[in-house]
Amino acid sequence: MSFQLTDIPRILPELMLLLLALLVVGSDVLTRWGRDPKARAERAREAGQLTAIGLGLVFVVALIQSRLLFTVPDPTGGPLDVLLTLGRNLQAGGPGGPALLGAFATDEFTMVARLTFVGAALLTSLLAMGYRLTANPGEFYSLLIFSTLGMSLMAAATEFILAYLALELSSIALYVLAGYFRESDRSPEAGLKYFLFGSLSSAIFLYGISLVYGFVASENQKAGGTPIIATLFSEVGRLATGEAASNPLLTLGMLFIVAGLGYKISVVPFHSWAPDVYQGAPPPVTAFLSTASKTAGFLLLYRLLTTAFPGAVGAPRLETFSGWTSLLAILALVTVIVANLAALPQTNARRLLAYSSIGHAGFVLLAILLWTSSSQVDRDFGTMALFYYLITYTITNVGSFGVLAVVSGAIGNDDLSDMNGMWRRNLPLTLMMTILILSLAGIPPLAGFWAKFFVFMAGYQAGAVPLVAIAVVMTVVSLYYYLRFLKAMWMNPAPATTPIVTPRIANAAIVASTILVVLLGIVPNLIWGALSGTTAFAGR
Amino acid sequence: MNAFPILSLIVWLPALGALGVLALPRANLQAQRAVAMGAALLALAAAILLVVLFDRNQAGFQFVESFAWVPSWGISYTVSVDGISLWLVALTAFLTPIALAASHGAIERQERAFLALVLMLASGMTGVFVAQDMLLFYVFFEFTLVPTALLIGIWGGAGRRQAAIKFFVYTFAGSVFLLPGIIGLHLLHRQATGVATFDIATILASLQLGAFQLDPAAERLLFGLFFIGFAVKAPIWPFHTWMTTAHAEAPSSGAIDIAGLILKIGAYGLIRFNVQLFPAAAAWAAPAIGVLAVISIVYAAWVAYQQTDMKRLLAYASVSHLGFIVLGMFALNAQGIAGAVAHMVNSALTTGALFLVVGMLAARRDSRDLRAFGGMWKATPVLGSLTLILVLGAIGLPGLNGFASEFALLQGAWRSPGIGWRYTLLAVLGVALAAVYLLHMYRATFMGEVPPDLAQTPDVRPRELVLLTTMATVVVVLGLYPALLFGPMQQSVTQIAQGTLQYLASR
Repeated sequence: MSFQLTDIPRILPELMLLLLALLVVGSDVLTRWGRDPKARAERAREAGQLTAIGLGLVFVVALIQSRLLFTVPDPTGGPLDVLLTLGRNLQAGGPGGPALLGAFATDEFTMVARLTFVGAALLTSLLAMGYRLTANPGEFYSLLIFSTLGMSLMAAATEFILAYLALELSSIALYVLAGYFRESDRSPEAGLKYFLFGSLSSAIFLYGISLVYGFVASENQKAGGTPIIATLFSEVGRLATGEAASNPLLTLGMLFIVAGLGYKISVVPFHSWAPDVYQGAPPPVTAFLSTASKTAGFLLLYRLLTTAFPGAVGAPRLETFSGWTSLLAILALVTVIVANLAALPQTNARRLLAYSSIGHAGFVLLAILLWTSSSQVDRDFGTMALFYYLITYTITNVGSFGVLAVVSGAIGNDDLSDMNGMWRRNLPLTLMMTILILSLAGIPPLAGFWAKFFVFMAGYQAGAVPLVAIAVVMTVVSLYYYLRFLKAMWMNPAPATTPIVTPRIANAAIVASTILVVLLGIVPNLIWGALSGTTAFAGR
Repeated sequence: MNAFPILSLIVWLPALGALGVLALPRANLQAQRAVAMGAALLALAAAILLVVLFDRNQAGFQFVESFAWVPSWGISYTVSVDGISLWLVALTAFLTPIALAASHGAIERQERAFLALVLMLASGMTGVFVAQDMLLFYVFFEFTLVPTALLIGIWGGAGRRQAAIKFFVYTFAGSVFLLPGIIGLHLLHRQATGVATFDIATILASLQLGAFQLDPAAERLLFGLFFIGFAVKAPIWPFHTWMTTAHAEAPSSGAIDIAGLILKIGAYGLIRFNVQLFPAAAAWAAPAIGVLAVISIVYAAWVAYQQTDMKRLLAYASVSHLGFIVLGMFALNAQGIAGAVAHMVNSALTTGALFLVVGMLAARRDSRDLRAFGGMWKATPVLGSLTLILVLGAIGLPGLNGFASEFALLQGAWRSPGIGWRYTLLAVLGVALAAVYLLHMYRATFMGEVPPDLAQTPDVRPRELVLLTTMATVVVVLGLYPALLFGPMQQSVTQIAQGTLQYLASR
């Protein structure tokens, strides 16, 4: 298990992200730093364009590498040989093979996750370009890329130390981004709050890991060997079977790990930071924070729990504690109830969507519960449902927070009442927001409907019928607050008739996500097939 | 497999028309109306062709068109009609142009969007009636919500926002119960037979062949989930309040009342799923549902009599009619179900036409209050006489359309072991009350002394005359020759009733 030069293509997208981040900061140093607004705008545009182009390139490379679209044929001696050879070499680093150093899996799980994060970062950078960025654009964009890199590592990690480092890399960048608007009232508060909660949760996560280490060492000693600490998920999973699976040390470690990651995915009761941060952070950052960061947390949690604690799956029953599925079932229960009820009285649009996104985290947990089934077909369905939900949720929420970014950029505020009569002020934007909101509510035939449908089905199959029933009821509650958006935009009288202008570049991101939402709603098969590979993730 | 996709044509023509309307320039209202009406009339022509081509000797689904949608989960785009859905498709196709015509001139702003939404709604509702795949059914079922809510919320009366939200939340709350019901049915069927499908015909076949047997508890649970969804949509007492609010706040012209609110999607769902798929649970629940139905009939009729707002009155009348429909349906025999299906069509026709009349009256007086009218017969004799035909049709006078279906369903209910004569006697009380509230409305508007300011009210305009005569003609024709309606549905209805009989015999 050593790193070879031929392994470089396997981490090429990550390397490219690292280079891109450095390049964005570096080139920002070399541009003209004028004090006049025009020079500032110029500087911001350059950094943004470099980021968008670079992320687009990484996306294409990752897409080709993942072999999701096509497999490059063998060189035939024609004029295109150079390209074909390049493509072959790229795809040689595609899905498959053992995890790098045991720590970094390059399976389809990673590939799809990578595409999601890079795609979300790309859309976010477009939104950011449409938003008034005043100071230090190079830092802003490079932090965004660093955070993407961290997420990509999180989804790929099959080892505790890498998982922790990746978590920190993505989080620290996001703390800074959340507090990026130093001159505003709320943004520094958001950054600080996020940092305090985040660092606490990292500590909890780390403590959980250390307990797991203790368990591994003592198990190794019991087996007659030396008390060696193994840090691979699969190694823990190998030891934590049978009787050892119910070791209190291990259970406690697992609890701490779930709690630590619970902050990242903002499930109740670890959610209290989210509304303040989502409301206070710069709007494009919120779009990124609520989607990619959460997705990364879920994917890490999923890989970690299924690989390191396969013996402690239990059953998703609410009455008795029997392993991590019952733990997650309880979390899902309180999350869907608390988040959806707390969303009802909100008046700020971003805060409302923050609660809605906490609620969505509860729905996502339903998909994870299906791991309790012993049938591989069921488990595969759970994995695909999880990915489907996370991807459609990411697309939809980037779009809807993007709309709010446009509104707050144009009006300076994003309360629900600021969206009153929006259809008179910008009809296309209102139409797109309507589609995105209806998708979040789960109205067919939009992508969000299939996502909900699949996770309900997963929860049902996992035997968590009461939980699914409550989730269904909460869907109705959620509809009520989603309708408040529609009511404000379509039915309330407009306070002014001045049009809300969508910056062209931000419009591209919103249009792209709306089209994807509709397309995935009409043909859900489009990515369902691609997801079938993610079920065989490495390290299990 | 039929070569010509006639059903898809009927479903998607209005939607295409909607896109066409939106593509036209905002100022060109005439062209927008022409395109909308053209699309609706083409769909109507296709629907008439469908009725003509329909094979009445066949009980199962016809004109099946099927494409894989999500093959790995057995979800497909499958549309078809049988004797039950045939008439509801035809009814939707018939009422869409009427609704469009009724809105002309009555919509002051954004008529382009209005036309487009009405057409989208027509597409969605036809889709509900033809969907043979449960998921596709659900998609269309939900799809009808958004246009209806927007139509009420943008063009409605003073309380329109509240009404639109109430409508949306109520019906969505009901329909989300369908989703776990559908998922549960799918999963149980897959466990039993190994076939992953959402196709109603396939599941029905496995049920009938015994390859897929539900244990009573599961069947009752699924029945309950579907029932909640459809009972709210139908609506049956006590879930009816959204409907009366929605009717009261919908635009006066009556276009939306016709287009979205009186079509019997919920009642159709009850037949298609609850009665057809779960005969045992239906027989088990029939007495309880009979109670709800009778309460709907009598209570709604009584409340209708108390109303002074004519649209509210008609809304309660509609709830009362739904009580009859549900009563007939859960008689679970051929007469009852046939009567229920026919009554869905008849009730939509007469109540819809009366909503148009109210729209016309409201346009003349700017009020829908009964007390604001009186003696209109003197000023508007043509309108008065046409309205009389419709009112008598709605009451169920022999020779007009309401009678045959009401008679059939009450006869079915009487003979049914689950419902029985006690319920039927109470329901007959509802027939009498229908005469009371409708004649009360008629008397208050058209009879008596004419107030001086109403004496010069203009009589029907040509457009209104065409609309009402069309409706009245259908009412008379279906009344004189009800076999027209009952004939094609006979095989399908008998098949459903046999399913229940088999169950009752095996018990």
